[in-house]
Amino acid sequence: MASAMSTKILGPLRLSKQLISASFCRSKSDLTAATGHTFTEYEKQRDKKDVSIIVNEKMDISAISGVPEEHIKTRTVRIFVPARNTMQSGTYNTRRWRMEFDSRERWENPLMGWISTGDPLSNLEVNFNSKEDAISFCEKNGWDWFVEEEKKPKMVKKSYGANFAWNKRTRVSTK
Amino acid sequence: MLRLWPLRQVAKVQNVLGGLTQIATKSTQPAPAPELVEVFIDDKQVFVEPGTTVLQACAVAGVEIPRFCYHDRLSIAGNCRMCLVEVERSPKPVASCAMPVMKGMKVKTDSPMTRKAREGVMEFLLMNHPLDCPICDQGGECDLQDQSMAFGSDRSRFTDNAFTGKRAVEDKNIGPLIKTIMTRCIQCTRCIRFASEIAGVDDLGTSGRGTDMQVGTYVEKMFKSELSGNVIDLCPVGALTSKPYAFTARPWEIRKVESIDVMDAVGSNIVVGMRTNEVMRVLPRVNEDINEEWISDKTRFAYDGLKRQRLTTPFINVDGQLVPTDWETAFVKVAEKVKKVDPKLIAGVAGSTADAEAMVCLKDMINRLGGELLCTEDSFPLNRSGIDFRSNYIFNTTIGGIEQADVVLLIGTNPRLEAPLINARIRKTWIHSEVCVGVLGAPVDLSYEYQYLGDSFIVLKDLAAGTHPMCKALASANKPMIILGTDCLQGTENGVIYNAVKDIAERLRKNLKHKDWKIFNLLQKNASQVGALDLGYQPGVSGLKALQAELIFLLGADAGTVSKDKINPSSSVIYIGHHGDYGAQIADVVLPAAAYTEKDAIYVNTEGRVQLARQAVNPPGMARHDWKIIRALSEILGVALPYDKLADVRARLGEISPTFDQPGQVNESGFEAQAYQLQTEIKDPIVNVNTAISPTMLKLKDFYMTDPISRASLTMAKCIQACKESEKNPYSKQEAKA
Amino acid sequence: MATNRLVQQGVKQVKPLLSLDRTEARRRVLNLYKAWYRQIPYTVNAFYIPVTVKQGREKLRELFMKNKHVTDIRAIDMLVIKGQMDLVETANIWKQRNHVMMFFKDTVNPKPTDFLSKFYEGND
Repeated sequence: MASAMSTKILGPLRLSKQLISASFCRSKSDLTAATGHTFTEYEKQRDKKDVSIIVNEKMDISAISGVPEEHIKTRTVRIFVPARNTMQSGTYNTRRWRMEFDSRERWENPLMGWISTGDPLSNLEVNFNSKEDAISFCEKNGWDWFVEEEKKPKMVKKSYGANFAWNKRTRVSTK
Repeated sequence: MLRLWPLRQVAKVQNVLGGLTQIATKSTQPAPAPELVEVFIDDKQVFVEPGTTVLQACAVAGVEIPRFCYHDRLSIAGNCRMCLVEVERSPKPVASCAMPVMKGMKVKTDSPMTRKAREGVMEFLLMNHPLDCPICDQGGECDLQDQSMAFGSDRSRFTDNAFTGKRAVEDKNIGPLIKTIMTRCIQCTRCIRFASEIAGVDDLGTSGRGTDMQVGTYVEKMFKSELSGNVIDLCPVGALTSKPYAFTARPWEIRKVESIDVMDAVGSNIVVGMRTNEVMRVLPRVNEDINEEWISDKTRFAYDGLKRQRLTTPFINVDGQLVPTDWETAFVKVAEKVKKVDPKLIAGVAGSTADAEAMVCLKDMINRLGGELLCTEDSFPLNRSGIDFRSNYIFNTTIGGIEQADVVLLIGTNPRLEAPLINARIRKTWIHSEVCVGVLGAPVDLSYEYQYLGDSFIVLKDLAAGTHPMCKALASANKPMIILGTDCLQGTENGVIYNAVKDIAERLRKNLKHKDWKIFNLLQKNASQVGALDLGYQPGVSGLKALQAELIFLLGADAGTVSKDKINPSSSVIYIGHHGDYGAQIADVVLPAAAYTEKDAIYVNTEGRVQLARQAVNPPGMARHDWKIIRALSEILGVALPYDKLADVRARLGEISPTFDQPGQVNESGFEAQAYQLQTEIKDPIVNVNTAISPTMLKLKDFYMTDPISRASLTMAKCIQACKESEKNPYSKQEAKA
Repeated sequence: MATNRLVQQGVKQVKPLLSLDRTEARRRVLNLYKAWYRQIPYTVNAFYIPVTVKQGREKLRELFMKNKHVTDIRAIDMLVIKGQMDLVETANIWKQRNHVMMFFKDTVNPKPTDFLSKFYEGND
């Protein structure tokens, strides 16, 4: 059980302590014992497929995700559909949801004039298939978020014949 | 290019004058749900309304058909032929942008015939297209590049280069904003249609035929429109590009930040393109309710003013000279001044680009210090219900709602220069429906036909009394609209004018068939005005003189309404702003703040819609965000405000008004009846206003410099110069006399 | 504009990582703590770090208390696994002195925490 595990840790540690105080050589068996261990009966039981535990539905991995605490507590995430580039007429990028962070200080690097920042999340832009996916990702990581609803362009009914209407103002005056 | 005005149309306008009610009313009954037509696109069944084009039906099905000349908001041209698709039982491929769907149509968007058509069209376009990609600004965001990669063939069969060669066309000069390299033009005619339909300036057209067809103004003329920069977005190739932005950046190195524009009160949605901590360009974002897909020239090109005349360090006035210092010294100086002054004589003035967070912080701080007077630079009549009801000072109909109006009455406003996008919306309504526009003010060129009613107060009185011929048209309208500008409300008789307009609106409201329709609208000129009035600021700086304020905080107030000789010669002025303009010149302490691209801020547009602007670049030098300056100052002065983070400030805004918690939406304003009731309870003496009810911005050159940012911009200066030169050009349309 | 946090009350069944219930997870955490506690004197000696054993143990307590709000058993298991990996690397002297000193953040300049200092410092 757990005590077995703890002895496994302490075992090689005590050995290593002796070794360190005596000499600096470590045997291979100690290393193997430290990094990997043979499965006990308990562990084999546990790793069977049908064992399950009950946890809260709301998952919070902010402690283990590796993001520094200040970048979880102080940052705000904006979830949005990126705006279509009006210089082009393609809309592929507007079919996904994206999350971006609030921008922090950027300055010009004195060497090459490129941009430097102290903010590790400055380039983090994650794409999602749906708004709910983005929201659950932010919740999971512990960020404050807000959503900007997507703005769908309205489909306007138009007809080529309107260009030649006799008395309507839609009559085209130039070519 | 004269529009053929059939006699019936002329008669209609005359009938209004004659008093016959012949205005065609749009049917405002909700249309019964139309029979949807089934169409098969690539064997996928979709149901669309009858009258949609094949291209739109394919978009519903999720297939995007390549196109060059078709644009959602322009009329159909059908001349590029890139949208050809194969339709069953049709011998030739069909131009999907123009063909309306029919029942049971089967469309194949990826068949060999379609592919061959696309490759053929691409081949023809590229045959005469110069090899300019490395030097073309559109590279990286070019429709021609993308579609030739996706739909074109891999090789060219053009072998004539040694003999006839590719065609070349001279560049045209259409102004200081748009760079034209007409060799790259593929004659899609999008710019021509935009200029004629949306901008209302019929200057661009084609001359010649075949290979010699050239798009331009034929005579060298400036493309004189406040929406002229939008052709840069529309042009699918690099023929029309932005002159200030030329050769500065490539689209893949630009970091796009979605934000809001503050050059006028419309609050157009923009995308700020940033690279290396400077704003490279400003592009529009699609927002159907406000600006559709367009932005005005000031919004688009004034960003170079963000780099000039900037305040980068705090300043202190020492013997008439502003000496740069650091933050602590500046704060200590402010604290000294505050200590010497009676707290009741502390006042604040919010400028035209002040954001809501800074305004609420300033109000809270001054209130905690003991002062009460906070005002805006624009005046507004306060004699009756004043700013107590929101519907008194916002654009109640909402900008999208303009499209349903059938009579529009513009009073004392030139929407073309004050809010170009609202004017574009009125023009769109004018084109697509039988709306009748009447103007009481200056006879300016609004890009659509209107009936000029004069500019004197007598006309307004007649309208209010119901004796003017225009009243019949208003009364018989289903959804009439009145737009009042703020220029005529700046004088001392603003109350009389305002009441007269409200009388007109109330009489129409009583007989309105659609009870939800709002008639009265006020068109603001400042981005900050509605936000300030929502937060409890008093409109107009007259209160400062009445109070004899000793200490005045200017929050970006650069309109020149606050000056020492007018207010109180012995007063101290503390300026919190971003440009060294009028405000900084009269200040004793200058605290540098951030411009609209440099802070996460909330702005309320003229409809009362709350929108969030985002930070794209950093405030330069030692400048800080506005609300943070005020919060730090409050701590030094001993009245520390209870919020530390932006989220807390926004929570405070939400406490004051729930609209601040719903960004992007318009809340319906109400209480018109109560507001009018308050108005009629007090009877004012009947006063005759002698000045003309006229807007101040009359010519295009008045449009370009209205903000501290646009005043500092070189591009805007070039535009004004070009406007002045074009007045001497015999071919350009003369504008209304001032 | 108010930022949102979802509030969900439900539970779900998931595959465990190491522990099957809270007592087991608690036992793992305590055993890890004890192992680290006992390892610290040897660490201070072996790496010759400029920190007393008492300071080292205080730091150990601080780092464990930092995560005391974690309630998900799998997250606790993950933290235990990471702590165990750190312990193995420290005990076997696979780390170096500067890696061990990173726990103490002695070269990191403390960031200002009150509003006014942050204001003078910069825009963030």
